[in-house]
Amino acid sequence: MSWTVHVPILTIAVPLLGAFALPLMAKVHRRLRDLWLVGVGAFTVAMIVTLAVQVFTGGVQVYTLGAEAADATLGPEGFPIRIMLVVDAMSAFMALIAALLGGAALVYALGFVEEGKGKTLSMSLFLLLWAGMLGLKLTGDMFNFFVFFEITTVAACGLIGFRAWESRSPEAAFKTLVMYILGGLLVLLAVGVLYGQYGALNMAFLSSQIQGGALDRIALGLLLGGLLMKAGAVPMHMWAPDAYGEADANTAIVLVANTQAALYGLFRMVFTMYGGASTPAVGWLVTALGALTILVAVLMAVIQTDLGRLIAYGAVSQIGFMLLAAGVGLATLATRPEFGRVALQGGVFHMFNDAACIGLLLLCAGAVRRAAGTGDLRSLGGLAHTEVWTSGFFLLGALALAGIPPLNGFASKLMIYQSSFRLSPILTALAVLASILLLAVFVRAFQGAFLGPRRNLEGGQPISPAMLAGMAVLAVVVIAFGLVPDLVVRHMVAPAADALWTGRDVYLAAVLGG
Amino acid sequence: MIGNLPFVVSMVLVVLGLWTLMTRRNLIKLAVGIVLIENGVNLFLVSLGYVRGGIAPIYTFAPADAPMVMPTPQALTLTSIVIGMATTALLLTFAVVIHRHRGTLDAGKIRELRG
Amino acid sequence: MNLLTGEGFWSPLVWLALAVAVTALTWWFRSKGRQDYKKGTEQATPFLSGEPMPEGVHVGGQHLYWGFVEALRPFVERIRAFHTGVVVDYVTWLVVMLAVVFLVVMLS
Repeated sequence: MSWTVHVPILTIAVPLLGAFALPLMAKVHRRLRDLWLVGVGAFTVAMIVTLAVQVFTGGVQVYTLGAEAADATLGPEGFPIRIMLVVDAMSAFMALIAALLGGAALVYALGFVEEGKGKTLSMSLFLLLWAGMLGLKLTGDMFNFFVFFEITTVAACGLIGFRAWESRSPEAAFKTLVMYILGGLLVLLAVGVLYGQYGALNMAFLSSQIQGGALDRIALGLLLGGLLMKAGAVPMHMWAPDAYGEADANTAIVLVANTQAALYGLFRMVFTMYGGASTPAVGWLVTALGALTILVAVLMAVIQTDLGRLIAYGAVSQIGFMLLAAGVGLATLATRPEFGRVALQGGVFHMFNDAACIGLLLLCAGAVRRAAGTGDLRSLGGLAHTEVWTSGFFLLGALALAGIPPLNGFASKLMIYQSSFRLSPILTALAVLASILLLAVFVRAFQGAFLGPRRNLEGGQPISPAMLAGMAVLAVVVIAFGLVPDLVVRHMVAPAADALWTGRDVYLAAVLGG
Repeated sequence: MIGNLPFVVSMVLVVLGLWTLMTRRNLIKLAVGIVLIENGVNLFLVSLGYVRGGIAPIYTFAPADAPMVMPTPQALTLTSIVIGMATTALLLTFAVVIHRHRGTLDAGKIRELRG
Repeated sequence: MNLLTGEGFWSPLVWLALAVAVTALTWWFRSKGRQDYKKGTEQATPFLSGEPMPEGVHVGGQHLYWGFVEALRPFVERIRAFHTGVVVDYVTWLVVMLAVVFLVVMLS
């Protein structure tokens, strides 16, 4: 038995251990702490990449905790009783997103988070959030889904309210925390309903049992409510701009990944667990919420004057694109036409693209705040004179987000437009309109923050090379995925989308056996 | 009918908690509302695993053929209580910090972030 | 090297080649234009629209797309009114959406 079977659990365990050992390391020496941090980060990213390669080449990987063999999923009575991690292509794809954003955030934070402002504890919480997020994406068990959901809740809200010496940050954290706890409790209630009915917590087993009866539907409603809230669908999105706007830049991009983890949870529930009993109405609901999210968030972005909050509304609108695409896929799941598959591929691809370009923009906003001492667009200006790289990265991210070819946002949006057109042209019209508005919003932001004559802004500090390195990682992804979208789609996106579209049987077989 | 009473009570607790969250504006009362929902959900989980006349799932002197209540929901509930304690502590901490900054606990006045 | 999108395909490299060609063509066309305007006079200054500004001041970001934003303002203000920033309203919206989700899930 080679060590590679243990990769799924190492992916979660290493950042978890790293989080709790970090304060101890800091007691010894600051250098040791930074070394430990980089070591844990590099090891986690390496594990995730290994895991992804294994899953994309060898199919679903199952890891049963506490069993003699990793693939001994069934107990003596032919019934999955143990906790297990089930990694299919979609999980691996999401873990790659977490690796990208977590890695970039870690590099950026090394130069961004100031010593003496709780760097040690902030990085501990970051590792905890990372571990929780990865657990959410890899688990094959409903109750651990809830536990990891709550780990991300506590870690994320701790990070949002971290700057307790400012008045806005605890406010954002309180609001987000109330919403997250409620979402978590809805999920727990759904877990209880499902357990009461089937006496099991394993997702694959539940999936094989669910017929779509009244209690199943109640559980589905609770899950949809909790996960749509955490994904930030309008009108349950209002915590999102508060949280993204007030958190540190390195936190904000991990929050984006966390939001996408909730979206992954939603996909896992509706496609895999309820795949056999899904009705088009749920698909239409998700589609409608997606369209509403796109439109409302973009309109709100138009009038924002704070750079962080403006980008935050941009991030919410992108979630709308993913919901729209997934909704199109879900509404057509019964007949499985080709455009439903393309829509799902577009949505899944857009998750990665959104992670890269929104992450880039949020990191740039952090750099702007650092360099100018403020994020208010009314007093910013002329930063391009001094911060050449940051302005370049911001422009790149903004163009990619608005879907300007040949950057990565265009490829996935094109897939979403063309496939949602087949379901209803109105959806496409809304999405295109939103993209145009988004371009206007970000051109304004760019002009306001970077162009114009130099201004003497007080409280500005230089941007460190580590911050630029963090941004560069994401910028490379934005350009690379834009230039070779076909390769990315063929080797990563298509397997991930197919895992949702047709992979339910494979998922069930991997856990429950032939 | 009497067997369903715990479920009814747990749902009443959840609804009461939601009602608190929607009608009260004091941050501490919001925390209380959340704890109410939490307890409702916990009660729901525990009562799921109850077997009529069952004994505790871990009991050394249990007779060989005695029915036992299901242990899994109890484990879930314990985990959920611990998690609930952590989130409630965090919630109250933020309420204290907000009070220090603003001098108020009225949610209607704590709206620097809006629009 | 083409990304199939269901209806057609997307190839960024072809797009880049075309973009370079169009840019070259535009540049060539522009170089054929009039060269006889007077530099340093009124003719060379840019035309500005939007809110009245004193002469020689940088036009900040909030003035871009002024008409566009102004036309959208009635809709946006209505949406903005929803974003009260009171946490109680956030919860209320969650409960409302939960009701909608339940309605859809149970009735379908």
